[in-house]
Amino acid sequence: MTSKRVLVVDDEIHIVHIVAIKLRNNGYDVVTAGNGAEAFKIACEEKPDIIVTDYQMPLMSGLELVEKLRGSEAMRDIPVILLTARNFAIEDKQKEDLGISQCISKPFSPKELLENIEDILYQRELVGHSAELGRSLDS
Amino acid sequence: MKFGRNLYAIVTGIVLCCLIIGGLSEWQDSGAEEGWRFVFFMQRWGPVALVCYIAAAVGVIWLGWCWIKLAGTITSMARHLRQDKSAHIKPDRNVVINDLSEAINERIESYVHYIAQLEKQVKDLQIQIQLSQRRGKNTEAIIYSIRDAVIVVDEFDKLLMANEAAGRLFNFDFAGSRHKPIGELVEPGKSEFVDILRHSRQSKARATRKEIEFLKACPEQPVVSEVEPSRRDAEPKTYNCIISCVYDQDQQVCGTVAVLHDITREKQIQQMKNDFVSHVSHELKTPLASITAYSEMLADGEANDEQRMKEFCSVIQSQAKRLNRLIEDILNISRIESGLIKVEKKPISLTILIEEQLQMIKSAASEKNIEIIRQKPIVFDQVYADKDMISQVIVNLLSNAVKYTSAGGKVMIETEVDETANLVRVSVTDSGVGIPEDEIERVFDKFYRIGANKKQAKGTGLGLNLVKQIVEKVHDGRVFVTSKVGVGSTFGFELPLATPEAVKA
Repeated sequence: MTSKRVLVVDDEIHIVHIVAIKLRNNGYDVVTAGNGAEAFKIACEEKPDIIVTDYQMPLMSGLELVEKLRGSEAMRDIPVILLTARNFAIEDKQKEDLGISQCISKPFSPKELLENIEDILYQRELVGHSAELGRSLDS
Repeated sequence: MKFGRNLYAIVTGIVLCCLIIGGLSEWQDSGAEEGWRFVFFMQRWGPVALVCYIAAAVGVIWLGWCWIKLAGTITSMARHLRQDKSAHIKPDRNVVINDLSEAINERIESYVHYIAQLEKQVKDLQIQIQLSQRRGKNTEAIIYSIRDAVIVVDEFDKLLMANEAAGRLFNFDFAGSRHKPIGELVEPGKSEFVDILRHSRQSKARATRKEIEFLKACPEQPVVSEVEPSRRDAEPKTYNCIISCVYDQDQQVCGTVAVLHDITREKQIQQMKNDFVSHVSHELKTPLASITAYSEMLADGEANDEQRMKEFCSVIQSQAKRLNRLIEDILNISRIESGLIKVEKKPISLTILIEEQLQMIKSAASEKNIEIIRQKPIVFDQVYADKDMISQVIVNLLSNAVKYTSAGGKVMIETEVDETANLVRVSVTDSGVGIPEDEIERVFDKFYRIGANKKQAKGTGLGLNLVKQIVEKVHDGRVFVTSKVGVGSTFGFELPLATPEAVKA
């Protein structure tokens, strides 16, 4: 079974580093980026299973990155976890519209972040399986 | 009156003569027989008739005399009264006249008293009119001198009073607009104000408060203009509008007073404070997030080897320092502003200080491949300053230059001594994004961040304000900035050179 790929995006190098260590220690394949623009480029190339991104970053914010991803046919469905130091920055409606799976406030626990990633990926896997089952039953 | 008496005597005499002559001629004409009969009659009854006749004549004369005297007295009284209205009439021997004169005197006295009262009232009223006129002028002067726009309208929304600020805000001249409907005076773009005014009057609310945003017309534009609103109404302004109803004696609304206070600046400050809280919380949470994450990983045994453990501890330490620095920045600004900061001034060399600070910024510059060009050595550049504070100034300027310069750019730090002005000038020039001309004046403002540069790098908007406070408030120096968008900026400061006495000491 191939390991899941996670794209971690933050302009804080220490945050990227620690999240990457936590995820790698738990069997994930991790790619990193320092801002939204770089992240979009990497996402196009690497096709991650999930993206963990900071909200406020230079050049392109986390929110702008999500908007750009949702506009792209290939990356429309990639689940996104938004890390934010501003709890009030995103309204529920905006979160729903952009398909943001989870908003996590800084400071955060790497353990909880890992649990969230696992939950989201598991749910997607279940949805994928049931869709596959439905298709096979139909045929 | 003498003429009247004389005339009366003459007329009476003539009448008596006429009667005697008439009697005698009648006797002569009637013949001797009748004449003798008359004489005979007169011989018998003559003395009685004569006495009666004389008595009647005297009575008539006396009555006539009394009448003339009464008329004379009344005429004299009338003349007397006409000449002096308040004069009293002298008592007369005649009882009737005396009664009349007493009654008139009483009436005169009451009238005099009444007139005196009226005169007093008139004087009081005149004084009150003068006072109210003066009060009115004072009130008008006070209303005119108020910087807030004040508008007073009657119950039909017609303008009663407006001060200069109101005229400027709504573009009308009060002198030519008195008693005109306010709806006609206010531009269509500001009709919200008229609606609120009308609504307040109709609701009879004692006071209504509302914030209104107007797009303020540029002063150089004419009042009635064909220019597009978008061009004319460039600068949005927020006003706090307080409308109070004026009530008459029957508690009916007889007008409304509106006071419009410009709160644009307060709103801007509020916005800046909100931005500051938001930025600061973000800036504080970022190192805190690292500390929390790394310490949790350490506690969970995720650091497999000793080297990784050391690395984690080092990150925790550096982030704790970063957090402390940020808190110190905020506290320093607060302390400098309140004058509570402890300053330890001593002679220091700026060249040496810059050298030390360059070491701190080196790693950040090399990360972005930014070349730092250093100054040429200067023999004497000592200033009498607080070492830690000036170090902070240099670090802030250098880190800003690195932050806003793209990878591969250049940052140059120079020191020059102006012996004529007796000062040292330090300037940091970068090849960064630059600052738009309209924002350059505000770069040293607390919490202010250049709109276009917010995305370029993180910041609290405190760094440059701290530089300004340290240089200008603590060291009596001066900060300066020049910039061109796309070319780069030069930030710097000037400090007075230390005197040789201070250096020796």
